[in-house]
Amino acid sequence: MKRFFYKSQQTAVGAVLLTVFLLLVMPEGARARLKSAIGGLFLPVVGISTTGQAAIESLGQLGSTAGYGSPTSNQTLGQDGGHPFSLSDLQLENAKLAEENRQLIEARNWEPRIPWETKLARVVGRDTFNWWRRIKINLGSNKGVRFNQPVISLRGQLVGRITEVGPLTSWALLVGDPNCKFSALIKDKDSRSQGGIVSPRQYNPDPRVVELTYLPNDVEVRPGQEVVTSGLGGGFPKEIPVGKVVDSWVSKDGLYVEARIKLYANLNQLETVRVLTHF
Amino acid sequence: MTGRINKALGLLIGAYLLVFVQSHWSVPRLWLGFQPDLTPALLVCVGLSLGIGQVSTSAMLTGLWLDSLSANPLGLSVPPLFIVGWMMFTFRELIVQDDLVAQFYLGSAAGAAVPLLQLWLLWMVGADPLIGWSMGIWWLVNAACCGVAVPLFAKLGRLLNRWFSHPLHEPNRWPNENRQIVRSKH
Repeated sequence: MKRFFYKSQQTAVGAVLLTVFLLLVMPEGARARLKSAIGGLFLPVVGISTTGQAAIESLGQLGSTAGYGSPTSNQTLGQDGGHPFSLSDLQLENAKLAEENRQLIEARNWEPRIPWETKLARVVGRDTFNWWRRIKINLGSNKGVRFNQPVISLRGQLVGRITEVGPLTSWALLVGDPNCKFSALIKDKDSRSQGGIVSPRQYNPDPRVVELTYLPNDVEVRPGQEVVTSGLGGGFPKEIPVGKVVDSWVSKDGLYVEARIKLYANLNQLETVRVLTHF
Repeated sequence: MTGRINKALGLLIGAYLLVFVQSHWSVPRLWLGFQPDLTPALLVCVGLSLGIGQVSTSAMLTGLWLDSLSANPLGLSVPPLFIVGWMMFTFRELIVQDDLVAQFYLGSAAGAAVPLLQLWLLWMVGADPLIGWSMGIWWLVNAACCGVAVPLFAKLGRLLNRWFSHPLHEPNRWPNENRQIVRSKH
């Protein structure tokens, strides 16, 4: 028994070590495919969760519509001594519908102002680790999503870019992730625009704050100046709004200026985004 | 045998749902500013109450699931989780397993150790994660969350075990109503 105990422990340790070793020596392409396949195991639960959420929402709407549309039954219920729809219920429902309406109107209003062809996508998940900033969207290669396509918010502000594309879902790297570096410009009405690189170096508890580095030493950076994408490097098209300058300082070696940027898009509360399909 | 299969199946379903919730439920992120990772607490419970086979299986599957939903290299989370589960399993005779305070400390220690090990492994493989001193706050809160989660997971495990397991058949149990010899004057 004692021998079996030690043997089973050795087997368990050996199995774990072997798995990790095999994953390490596996070719990069095969490992990416395996990762995508394992991640795909969650698709049924994502589907159930999304459908369940939609069903609950539609049931709520059905209930409220039935309530509005049937005054007779309301009166009958009222005569029974109960008040099926109190004023606070109706106000709550009204506020919810107004918010939904506002979001839809906002999306529609911003649509013509965005000069690129976009596809709306719903955020269905996030990276499980806090040292990466990525979101999972419900569009994949079946809807024409491709690697490196820019992702913007409903209002057209920069959110990130597509890094992994699956058949039904994709992962987008958010601005603020250490692997999402791009060239940006500080727009100035009085003088020429100055360019730098958005390259996050350390964890910031506020996901909306990123660093803009390698700005020329002679440039005057003021809080409130607007930052947009430069279009250099080919990653993002020109003039996507990124954020506003919070503060700036000269780097330790004195060779360039660095600035902190507050992003326009609230990356912690993204529900719907646009993927730029043609730009 | 069926009981063991039930336990393993329940454990894997629980781990799967935990990883799914961590990735797709963003309410904690909105409230706390980060997403707590409770998988170390799960491995503490597994190490304290189940066998080494379940420890290695749950560490491997949970680690692979976590990494598949993240930018981590696939398999990176497996060794830290396995180390936690294996240590709990090896030293469980020395631990007061049913004590709430002991469970809290074990969960907190695991919740603190696993992210550090994961970050160390990330550096070893040359990845460039986002780190900073302000991460210390979420590291501490995450450890506390794991500490609180261990007693809850242990209680949930006992509850599920009671609901879904058959009582063990013990022929020599006494008093045994089926085999009791009733003596009479005849």
